[in-house]
Amino acid sequence: MRAVEHALNITIPDNARILRNIINAIQAIHDHVIHFYHLHALDWVDVVSALKADPAKTAALASSISDWPNNASASYFKAVADKLKAFVESGQLGIFANGYWGHPAYKLPPEANLMAVAHYLEALDFQRVFVKSMAILGAKNPHPQTYLVGGMATPIDPNSQNAINAGTIAQLLEYAEQAKAFVDKVYIPDLLAIASFYKDWAGIGAGVGNFLSYGEFQNDNLPNTTNVWLPAGFIKGKDLTKIEKVDHKKMTEEVSRSWYKYAGGDDKPLHPWDGETTPNYTGPKETYKELNTDGKNKYSWVKAIRYDGVPVEVGPLARMVIAYAAGHKEAKGLIDFVLGKLGVGPAALFSTLGRTAARGIETKLIADKLPSYIMELAANIKKGDYRVANTDKWEPSTWPAEAKGYGYHEAPRGALCHWIVIKDRQIANYQCVVPGGVNASPRDAKGQRGPDEEALIGTPIAKPDQPLEIIRTIHSFDPCMACAIHAVDANGKEIVQVRVR
Amino acid sequence: MAKIVVDPITRIEGHLRIEAQVEGGKITDAWAAGTMWRGIETILKGRDPRDAWTFVSRICGV
Repeated sequence: MRAVEHALNITIPDNARILRNIINAIQAIHDHVIHFYHLHALDWVDVVSALKADPAKTAALASSISDWPNNASASYFKAVADKLKAFVESGQLGIFANGYWGHPAYKLPPEANLMAVAHYLEALDFQRVFVKSMAILGAKNPHPQTYLVGGMATPIDPNSQNAINAGTIAQLLEYAEQAKAFVDKVYIPDLLAIASFYKDWAGIGAGVGNFLSYGEFQNDNLPNTTNVWLPAGFIKGKDLTKIEKVDHKKMTEEVSRSWYKYAGGDDKPLHPWDGETTPNYTGPKETYKELNTDGKNKYSWVKAIRYDGVPVEVGPLARMVIAYAAGHKEAKGLIDFVLGKLGVGPAALFSTLGRTAARGIETKLIADKLPSYIMELAANIKKGDYRVANTDKWEPSTWPAEAKGYGYHEAPRGALCHWIVIKDRQIANYQCVVPGGVNASPRDAKGQRGPDEEALIGTPIAKPDQPLEIIRTIHSFDPCMACAIHAVDANGKEIVQVRVR
Repeated sequence: MAKIVVDPITRIEGHLRIEAQVEGGKITDAWAAGTMWRGIETILKGRDPRDAWTFVSRICGV
């Protein structure tokens, strides 16, 4: 959408910019909370160990880190433990099935495990309620339905029940306040408490050390504006003293090790405007045990995405590192607070733990910011501005015969950009370079590993048949390989295959 | 030399496979493989640019 707006040089109205900022903020908060509790926490939290916890001691621990109402209640933690015990005794762990419970890399005491399991369940409730704010503005989540080239398709009318009105603003503010409370009193205290047991992970999982952010939360209405709240930038080799300006022309994709064919040679990096997507699967036939990753063999459907010729990490850590280096006041304050609490220096950011901490820090930054965007919308409506879309260039007859554009976005998982080439009012070429792909890039022709791959080097593996440590580092990136089906067998049980040669 | 294969990595969106070589209790080399073809670029060719966002948002909403 931003790529099309850029190609056609469309400036969106104030309300559209503010609504998009609100939706981006809601999505980031929702996504990060789900990631921390539901996708990542159980890499650090041993659910079965929680059964050994003393509920009174758990309440003492929990109330020492936060005044969240349930934290002081031994009976609340006892109820959670009883629920868990019933799961385990029935032999049906449900959502907690298939964990590496009892693995030696789990370090939390039983009480911390029980506290985290309780908050895992509370976070399920929180996200269920909070996502209603997404429903109000986006109709659904993910894949909000209310966008429009030129602005938004959500009407604003203070006198209509079927449009954004004073009631909508009040509801949005209420959900935003709930989010802020949950992040301040549950997410951040839990993150700090859990991280304090895993400080060794501040020295594991560093990765490529190159970071990219396109910048997000626009302050003005121009396509790809650099006037943003969370700054854009490129940092190379962990050098926090130097932030380079982002130039979309430096982004390339190559397929020397990916299952595609380029007309001009697979080793030649292509800018996405010239991008090609011709599949060329050369991997083994199903069912195979291992991919042939030797030599120059292809082994992935992800292209090798490079910025200025090097692999780059994108995501909350990249955004926070760039904000920190840029001296972003709120970000720097929070990052220093968290580093101080954990008793580690900024170098600890470049790690699996740093990646997970950065996501929490960013969630708090955004949760603190969200109410101001909602108030900005209210103030704009109060001025009598109800305009949500600029439709001057809606009709294709107003377009040039040929146009090219790109659209930056910082998705929860990282830097995202789409490139479009329009010819004769149709899409002639389109390339999406998505954060999951940037981080999960395979090797390139020069043999440089992608960010996920590089981050795994040196990771200790206690039990090769239960590679919990691999999962920790990979999950710290919050991979998103395309919203898709999961591998589920006929009984609905998730299949995970771990093989050791 | 032990090679560990994790496929799929669960508790993520989509499909990701990791192969890792382990020596002396540490990972010495690793390969990340996307095991699914996306193909949205092919779907978009020839379509109305105004419809692009609603197609591409289906790759991944977040």
